[in-house]
Amino acid sequence: MPDEIRDEIPVIELENVEKYFGDLHVLDNINLRVKKGEVVVIIGPSGSGKSTLCRTVNRLETIDSGKIRIAGEEMPAEGKELARIRSEVGMVFQSFNLFAHKTILENVIMAPMSVKKTPKAQAVKEAMELLKRVGVESQASKVPAQLSGGQQQRVAIARALAMHPRAMLFDEPTSALDPEMINEVLDVIREVAEEGMTMLIVTHEMNFARQVADRIIFMDQGRILEESTPEAFFEAPKTERAREFLSKYSVSTSRLPRGAYESVEKHASGVLGMRISATPEA
Amino acid sequence: MKKSNRKSIQNVLYENPGPRMRARIRAATILSLFLLLLLLFFIVRQFLITGQLDARYWSFFLRPTTWRFLGMGLLGTVEAAALGGIVALVSGFFLMLARISRFGTLRFLSMIVTEFTRGIPTLLFIYFFFLVIPQFGIKMPPLWKIALPVAISASGIVAEVLRSGVNAVPKGQREAALSLGMLEHVVFIKIIFPQAIRFVIPALIAELVIVVKDTSFAYVVSFPDLMQNAKVLISNYDALLSVYLVVAVIYIVINYLLNRLSLFAASKMKIEA
Repeated sequence: MPDEIRDEIPVIELENVEKYFGDLHVLDNINLRVKKGEVVVIIGPSGSGKSTLCRTVNRLETIDSGKIRIAGEEMPAEGKELARIRSEVGMVFQSFNLFAHKTILENVIMAPMSVKKTPKAQAVKEAMELLKRVGVESQASKVPAQLSGGQQQRVAIARALAMHPRAMLFDEPTSALDPEMINEVLDVIREVAEEGMTMLIVTHEMNFARQVADRIIFMDQGRILEESTPEAFFEAPKTERAREFLSKYSVSTSRLPRGAYESVEKHASGVLGMRISATPEA
Repeated sequence: MKKSNRKSIQNVLYENPGPRMRARIRAATILSLFLLLLLLFFIVRQFLITGQLDARYWSFFLRPTTWRFLGMGLLGTVEAAALGGIVALVSGFFLMLARISRFGTLRFLSMIVTEFTRGIPTLLFIYFFFLVIPQFGIKMPPLWKIALPVAISASGIVAEVLRSGVNAVPKGQREAALSLGMLEHVVFIKIIFPQAIRFVIPALIAELVIVVKDTSFAYVVSFPDLMQNAKVLISNYDALLSVYLVVAVIYIVINYLLNRLSLFAASKMKIEA
């Protein structure tokens, strides 16, 4: 089919998706389309279902009803077809999940070789290029435990990219990192976004969300409450719930002890890009 | 490295000793050394009194034939233990696979078999192979008659040890592999099991030590292992204590080597957390 038409088919599409954990309605009538090259950032309070939503896209979580399509193809329930579609959607986890018994290089070449049957020489060449791109090529022969969290997460991104995915899912990629390592990971994600990768990102980094997102999705209690441009969302949230959520960020900043203020302000400066009055209470 | 290891464990268990505690530790060391020497003295004295140190109980150890005979026994023990160990590892692996299977029936069957092999004494399995199996007209060489029951007895524990290793692999490892498009069985073979086995090497080797010790029941099925040959020596020279002492030392050496091997393997394949 011609390119224009293919471009109109969303890379990721969720239609009337519902999911329950027992009585808890974790995903309540979710409809979401992510177009080619688009970066969609999901934010929301803990327990709002944003991680679950992210994980349903490659079926690490099953859904109770509704449809999930990747590039127009409905997600199969099991088997080789499911594995094939999963291989087209890269995923980066909060806890990195690098294969602990393999070296960094082996982590990156493993899936291309075993899933895509890429010859080893080519897989290694591509892997080294990717590792260089994320700035950890000198660590290629180490094992994950020898790397810092930030380095591990960058390797995880390289590992996902090595499969040449159509889209990438990021499930709170910086939530397990020390503050000083957050930026090195966000920078890599930003670069990948700028190269035109389709992305669905769950994050608590408001500043980053505002910079990188084409669209912000705000979730609460399993529902999508708002869907708008970053400017619109951060400057004039439509719902009371979103206003409350965003205001909590400023409250938590202002309550930090004096000593922590400097570093937090640096880190959180302009977080939300809005009414943050991050002055320590006297 | 070993020393620093031991120290770190001590550090975990106790805070660093102060001057009074150090003095107490020193006193305890001196006292226990004294008690040990006293015990040794009484043992040797008892040996002397009962004549266990007489030349006739020990002189035959100077003959090469004695050692060749013990060596043959040792070979038998190694054979039986190696065969039993391999069969136990393989059958334990399959029992574990069944236990974690998606099929409830398989899981249930595996659980029954596992509990069965764990709950019954090894000697009972050996009598079964020695007395019952031949009645069905099945002929088996003595090596198998000892190795198989020992293996069966160990297989359930091997299965449980392996399963605990599989459970110890963080679930994120599986999810990451699945998200890269690997099929479930590939994930298990390439990601889960290699990590699981690293977690449980010390426990697996401990089970192999039990296999080695269980082969000493070989005399029941008249397989010439170390224990069986020791018995022959004992009746030949009427030297119970000296032979058993020597055999005990040999068993200790075998199992000590196994333990060293486990430490070596564990350090080679270690996953740093």
